Amino acid sequence: MVGTKRRRDEDDTDEGTPRKLRARITDEAPDELGPLEAQTPSRKGRTQHLAENGTPRSILKKTGLIDGVHGTPKSTRRLVFETPTKSANHETPNGTPTIVRNADRSARRKSNRRILERTLNGAGSDEEATEDEDILAEHILGEEAEDLEQAGEDSTHEVPVPDTPSKRGRGRPKGSGKVGRPRKARSPTPPAELPPHEEYFWQNRPGGTKTSNNTLSAQSLLNHDEYFQAMQSYEDGHALEMHFLQELHGRAYHQWMFELDEGFNICLYGYGSKRVITERFTAHLYRHLLESAPYQGTKKTPKIVVINGYSAGTTMKDVLMTIASAMVPAGLKMPNQPAALLDFLLDHLSTHPSAHPLPVILNSIDSPYLRKSPAPSMLARLAAHPSINLVCTADTLNFPLLWDVGLKTQYKLLFHDATTFATYDAEIDTVETVNDLLGRSGRRVGGRDGVGFVLRSLPEQARGLFRILVMEQMALSLIEGADFEQYDEPTATAKSKKMVPVKNVPESSQGVEYRVLYHKAVEAFVCTSEVSFRTLLKEFHDHQMIESRKDAMGTERLWVPFRQEELEGLAEDLAREAF
Amino acid sequence: MEHQRCYIYEPPETEERAPKRQRTGKFNPQAQLSERLQTYRDIWAQQEERIQDTLEGADSATQDKIVNFISASASSSGETQFAIPTALIVAGPSIASHGPFFERLGRSITDDTNSVYVVLTSGECPNLKTLLKNLIKKVTSRVEDEDEDDVDRPSVSSRYGPKLLNYDLGHVQEWQKKTCAASIVVALQDSEAFDLGLLVDMVDLFHSWLDRLPFVLLFGIATSAESFEERLAGNSLRYLEGEKFDVTQSDEIIEKLFTATVANTDARLRIGPNLCHRMLDRQKDHVQNTQDFCDGLKYAYMSHFYASVPSVFLKDGIAFEDLAADAFEAVRNLPSFRRWVEEKLEDGQAQDVRQLLDSNESLFDQITQHIKSGQQALSNLSHSTHVLAGIREALRMSPSVRLSSIWTRAASGELNGSPLVRETMLSIKKIPSDKLVQLLAAMNELESDYFSIDLVSSQQRLDSLLKDTDAPLRTQHDVRNDSLRTTVVAQKVLLSKHKAALSEQDKAYSDLVTRFHDELDAYFTSSLIDPRTLFLSEILMYDLKSPHTEVFQPKPRFAVERALASPHDYLGCDCCTGVDGNPAALSATQPATAIVYQMYLESGTLINVSDLWSAFNAIAGDGVEENEPKTMALFQRALAELKYLGLVKPSRKKPDHISKIMWKGL
Repeated sequence: MVGTKRRRDEDDTDEGTPRKLRARITDEAPDELGPLEAQTPSRKGRTQHLAENGTPRSILKKTGLIDGVHGTPKSTRRLVFETPTKSANHETPNGTPTIVRNADRSARRKSNRRILERTLNGAGSDEEATEDEDILAEHILGEEAEDLEQAGEDSTHEVPVPDTPSKRGRGRPKGSGKVGRPRKARSPTPPAELPPHEEYFWQNRPGGTKTSNNTLSAQSLLNHDEYFQAMQSYEDGHALEMHFLQELHGRAYHQWMFELDEGFNICLYGYGSKRVITERFTAHLYRHLLESAPYQGTKKTPKIVVINGYSAGTTMKDVLMTIASAMVPAGLKMPNQPAALLDFLLDHLSTHPSAHPLPVILNSIDSPYLRKSPAPSMLARLAAHPSINLVCTADTLNFPLLWDVGLKTQYKLLFHDATTFATYDAEIDTVETVNDLLGRSGRRVGGRDGVGFVLRSLPEQARGLFRILVMEQMALSLIEGADFEQYDEPTATAKSKKMVPVKNVPESSQGVEYRVLYHKAVEAFVCTSEVSFRTLLKEFHDHQMIESRKDAMGTERLWVPFRQEELEGLAEDLAREAF
Repeated sequence: MEHQRCYIYEPPETEERAPKRQRTGKFNPQAQLSERLQTYRDIWAQQEERIQDTLEGADSATQDKIVNFISASASSSGETQFAIPTALIVAGPSIASHGPFFERLGRSITDDTNSVYVVLTSGECPNLKTLLKNLIKKVTSRVEDEDEDDVDRPSVSSRYGPKLLNYDLGHVQEWQKKTCAASIVVALQDSEAFDLGLLVDMVDLFHSWLDRLPFVLLFGIATSAESFEERLAGNSLRYLEGEKFDVTQSDEIIEKLFTATVANTDARLRIGPNLCHRMLDRQKDHVQNTQDFCDGLKYAYMSHFYASVPSVFLKDGIAFEDLAADAFEAVRNLPSFRRWVEEKLEDGQAQDVRQLLDSNESLFDQITQHIKSGQQALSNLSHSTHVLAGIREALRMSPSVRLSSIWTRAASGELNGSPLVRETMLSIKKIPSDKLVQLLAAMNELESDYFSIDLVSSQQRLDSLLKDTDAPLRTQHDVRNDSLRTTVVAQKVLLSKHKAALSEQDKAYSDLVTRFHDELDAYFTSSLIDPRTLFLSEILMYDLKSPHTEVFQPKPRFAVERALASPHDYLGCDCCTGVDGNPAALSATQPATAIVYQMYLESGTLINVSDLWSAFNAIAGDGVEENEPKTMALFQRALAELKYLGLVKPSRKKPDHISKIMWKGL
């Protein structure tokens, strides 16, 4: 409001002193604009107007040509905040005809007229509005880049003005990025000293990373035998230091026992397998318990439950059953469902408290098998019971995210860094994991030869079905491959035939639909009923020759987990009836 | 054993016990551990008792209200009800404390009223059927033996009439006939997490059974009662007849706990300002959880007695004979001992110092004496913070500063002469008599051994002064007199006249207030010491952040990243620090996973494994063809470990590519 008032005063003095032509011209245009806006007070009109006038390049330049000095972006800014009511008093601009003419010629006038026309015709559709907004946004973004150019241009005042923004299409002007700001040469290493969040965006910038199309040859990856053979002869150069680390953690056993005694539970984290530590700690605990009250001098032995969360298929039921076997006398009948069993256990622990809390050693509490929904909360309830002492290890980086505040309180964990650098021998099946990682799980069956071996032992129909599946899959990938041409170009670095890149299939449509395969199989007289079809598939499943998954639509899809070249080889073999 | 899922530990057959025996001959760092732990248990037991009392007392008022509400609704159940009596329990955003609260509430409800209490959580009630089954199971405390999923099989509990499905509220009715419970209290602990449709259906159903079963609903609400009401449609709201109960919020409980434990005048071991600060900040910013606060406190006590040998002197009635020489040596190494001795030397008491260093007996005497006086000083300090907080509260001064923050500042020795104290003292100087009456009354409660000001005489003199006047008396420092004058557009003359006309009573009152003020000032100055300057402050106060932070706020991700990015930090070996004096270069001796990880750090979102392998081979391999499988094996292991740690996942965008999913330093 202060602004408008001031401007009014200015105008008033203008009437009295007609010498101030230049100042007037700049003031003129907005006054003219006022009534127009009054007619269309909608937001749409505003934004259009804003978009038109907010383009610093064209309009500013033209006004700059006319009144030389005042061609700064500020004057256009004012327009935006003009209120329509104010200039109603100034219906007729009081300037002399020359001024009017001059003003008429000004680019601003022209653009204002354009806005008037547009709003009057009702042409200001939403689309246009948004388009203009886009352009405005681009200009705001581009301003930085253009500043450099502009600075140069402004100083000369004679640079020809580019056409109005309405004529320019969508998107940033072609040259603006490169001319205005010389693009930094991309370096293969990230710029140092970026704050973490910036680094994240740097890493995730669109189209940021270019990787080569090189692939690993099938021979270079080791299979289980080769891997173990290679590992047997390997000696770690840091065995001594690793031993020292373990020794260091060993000194804390007594402290941990004290913490357990005080009702806390313990969680060990850090890089390296912590199995060694828990194992030794268990032994230590065992000896300690053996020498203390209820066991000393008797034949009874303390019970310590050890759970290897990392081993495949560990379930809450296993965990609870083992704990129950340690706590509950053998004769008692126990419920079968895990939830009920847990209730029963906790109840039993409360009513029959033992001489000392039962130690439960849990390796890898964050393993995929114990991560899913009921397991963490059940473990938490278990850990919260005073008669249970939980010592667990966690391997993944983000394991604290498994627990919300409530669970964390129940767990009552104390965390200790137990970095060992020991290898995860028991936790990871290296060969398998790498094959999974690279999508080569087919190697599990022993490759093509393995499949051949299995197929030879199966009846004729099975071979037929497998052939159909392989053919279908290849046909599918051919179709899909057409869409993914860019990956088909052989790379310059591909040295041997084996290095030819494989057509890639998007995850969603990988594999053959179950229904389709069944119908094909029936047509080929491989099987007559779904039951026999299933039997055949099961055989393949058991030998891990096929994999299945439900896709996003819920349809089951089957595929042979081989890469393209291996598939081709398979198909050849099958066609030759080599098996 | 390592591939078995679960088993009961059995020691290996050949057990080597020799290494354990060897250790006994060496220096035992755990000297007198059992005594120290015994002391810990004694002291902590006292604190725990205080904690329990505080927790019980904290929400007893709310609980009583809720219990009254339930018994009231139960007594009115004779006439037909049109709506289910409902209690909206606004329990606040700290979800962790909801469970214990509803547990305590349940205990008092079942104790005080003839009703059955059932807690349902959203986790166990995905749909109406399961909700009802759970409800029935919990109400009738019927143990379900059949484990097969005979969900819809009619159970045989009813001998008469048609057999009931196991989610039929008829079961409850039957049970109700037998037990005649006055009401069935159903508490939904986390009402926000329940499916809205489920809530509506449940309310409908309960309402339709209301003529047969006396339901009472309790909704635990973390947000606000308004938003809860907004969620429910008008139809179901009509079936509910609600009352709102506010539960004491966890920050208030924490404040009470703090007052009862840390700032207690009887505490024998105190938690230092830094640690307090940490614990309170953590409460405020992250957890909001009373249990966690208590755990933190407990762990601080544990650490103190476990790790610090001199802490044995805190034992009650300790005798010189009980102590090992180690304890005295430990005391002589304390920084505060050194300071103290140096002061003594400066005073020229070299003889005393010599004796302290040589004779354990004289040191023991000094220690016992100083522990007593130090504890007295700390109690004074604690009490003075109570007094300060009490004064501020009685005068309703703003901003209101919590006792916990006053105490923390006092314990770090910054309160004496601080603006906070000065401001408080100034407002006492200007206090009018009506407020002084209140203040004295409030301070009467604070009177104790640690508070030496003679309040009684002040009180008496004030009473005698107030006998004759109606208007409140003002001191000479009261600015209100002046301001009164200036509003009257009068001259200087009037103003000075007024000053002179300070009545006899006002003068006497001014004297009283000035004396009171001076006494208080002296009290604060004497008691607000910096506790860290005390001799033996290390024993009397635990203020180490080291094990505490790591144990409660671990940085597992940082630890793993550090281990992989700079393995030297953990391994401490000579070989991994870099190549040719360039610490940034990857050396071949680093663990394979560390090498791959550091290459991983430099890559973008997509990683070509083939290229990664050639890079790895260039660093870790020796170029000999025969050794390539070994390098490959290491590479594969490293890759598998990265996958296991959750750093990479398979990518289907390009063949033989993996995608990076973790960024270092986030």
